[in-house]
Amino acid sequence: MSRLSARKRPNSSWHRRHDLPWMVLFVIPAFIIVVAVQFYPLVYSAFLSVQDWVLTESQVPKGFVGLDNFAKELSDETFRRSVRNSILITGGALVLEMLLGVCLAYLTMGTSWRMRAIRTLLIMPMVIAPVAAGTLWRILLNSRAGLVNHVLGAIGIKGPEWLATADGAIASVILLDTWQWTPFVLLVVGAAIASIPDDLLEVAAIDGASRLRTFLHIELPLLMPLLLLTLVFRMLESLLSLDSIYSLTFGGPGYSTYTLTYYIYTLGLRAFDFGAAAASSWIFMVFASFSIGVVFWFQRKDW
Amino acid sequence: MGRQKTAKQRFLAWAHSFILLIACLSVLIPLVYLVINSVKLPREFLSVPPTILPSEVTFQHYQELFEDSKTFRYFRNSFTVTIWTTGITIVAGTLAAYGLARMRLSAKILAGVTFIFLFIRFYPRVTTVIPFFLVMRELDLLDTVWAIIIGQLGITIPFVTWLMLVVFQDLPAEIEEAAIVDGASVWQRFWRVVLPIAMPSVAAAGILTAFLSWNEFLIASSVARRKASVLSIAVAGFVSDKGIQWGPMAAMSVAMILPMIIFALFAQKYLIRGITFGAVKG
Repeated sequence: MSRLSARKRPNSSWHRRHDLPWMVLFVIPAFIIVVAVQFYPLVYSAFLSVQDWVLTESQVPKGFVGLDNFAKELSDETFRRSVRNSILITGGALVLEMLLGVCLAYLTMGTSWRMRAIRTLLIMPMVIAPVAAGTLWRILLNSRAGLVNHVLGAIGIKGPEWLATADGAIASVILLDTWQWTPFVLLVVGAAIASIPDDLLEVAAIDGASRLRTFLHIELPLLMPLLLLTLVFRMLESLLSLDSIYSLTFGGPGYSTYTLTYYIYTLGLRAFDFGAAAASSWIFMVFASFSIGVVFWFQRKDW
Repeated sequence: MGRQKTAKQRFLAWAHSFILLIACLSVLIPLVYLVINSVKLPREFLSVPPTILPSEVTFQHYQELFEDSKTFRYFRNSFTVTIWTTGITIVAGTLAAYGLARMRLSAKILAGVTFIFLFIRFYPRVTTVIPFFLVMRELDLLDTVWAIIIGQLGITIPFVTWLMLVVFQDLPAEIEEAAIVDGASVWQRFWRVVLPIAMPSVAAAGILTAFLSWNEFLIASSVARRKASVLSIAVAGFVSDKGIQWGPMAAMSVAMILPMIIFALFAQKYLIRGITFGAVKG
């Protein structure tokens, strides 16, 4: 390292130019993989969205059909139902996760060993594979022999047929998403609360403001941007999730827990209708891109 | 007045503990119940009321599972995929991040690069699953672990590059200047000066990648359903099979969850940093 070099290079801009080929070389492997595995398939999928191609009928695309796939999907009963289910499930889960997450973030504040242990325990659901979380809740929600209805029965509530009815299955998926991802909100919001300067809150306390008023008028406005960012973040993740629904309800009963992601997945990989699957995923893409834009804007804005 | 307040405070403290207890139990009980289910006798699965403490502990489900050569294959495939994905991701991602950080790109280009990372993180991946399936079919890689590894690399490499880019950007330039004066080559600077400092972040990125790869389902299930099937597919597969085999299903779930729980206990800080990356800056 301390090898003396005769060729001293005092000029740092010379260095920059000299280094550049190396830097490009460093980026190339990652660049190739991203282009090959992300961008090429994206373009390919845009191509498929205007083709008539069902793999079970033909080994090659049957030809250009313009926007037919889009029109077909937008008027498709199952597609519409999947959109509705997605909104219900993601909406329900978001409300619960945000409320519970913020409450728990406040209740687990502090650095005592007890709080740290509780936080460690509370984040466990997040590290579990979503497929395994799905099977776990499938066992718990069994309407006859499941633990959940047994506990509900013990306190005098007759538990619903969780996985056998349409509404029950939707509620089950919401429950699973909430169980698994409330810790995410807890973590992000908890870190934000810890970074609010103490003196700000002390001043409020001296002024005689109640805890609730301090929260509403000082902390909430400070936390707002982060809460919104977390909300969009969770919304996207929840909309895109496939594994937990796959192992909890398998989309059923019937089509009652088909979400948009699940619908596209089955359309493409079970019915092999590549054209229709690509078209509906691009409809989805429009909404997702808009939300990604919102996240981007939130991250760059200096609050 | 004073006494009333202490009573109120005492009530609040009690309510606080009570809510936390409920929260902890609602996390803990499902997990413990899953473990209990994996050691239950088959006849106790659908008993009403549910058997909370089984009359007899049996390891027959685990035994059945591990005597089955299929299970062994799921584990081997999952390990293979996780190790290769993590290894390649760390090398390619760290290098790319260092390259991007030292190219001195303009703020605009850098913003564009960040947007691409964000986009790849969040666009509906189900869009590219079918084209990816077709490409793998073309390359004759369907139902191989390499199809899964390549597919996962498309997710993990951009993510790790993004994570490490932030780290390298925050590294003060002076650290490298001394090495430049000493005449160290670019590679020496990276390998001997920058990398040792960035090691904790590299470890964090590695742990995160392993976690994502081990739990991943979408790509694996779309390109590898038989020979190259991994644990996540096997666990999900219990649902679609004729009649649910509760015991093996619980046992396999436990086997899949356990490594990640242990991971989370020992490397909690790193894992959290990865999972919340993007929502919190840095």
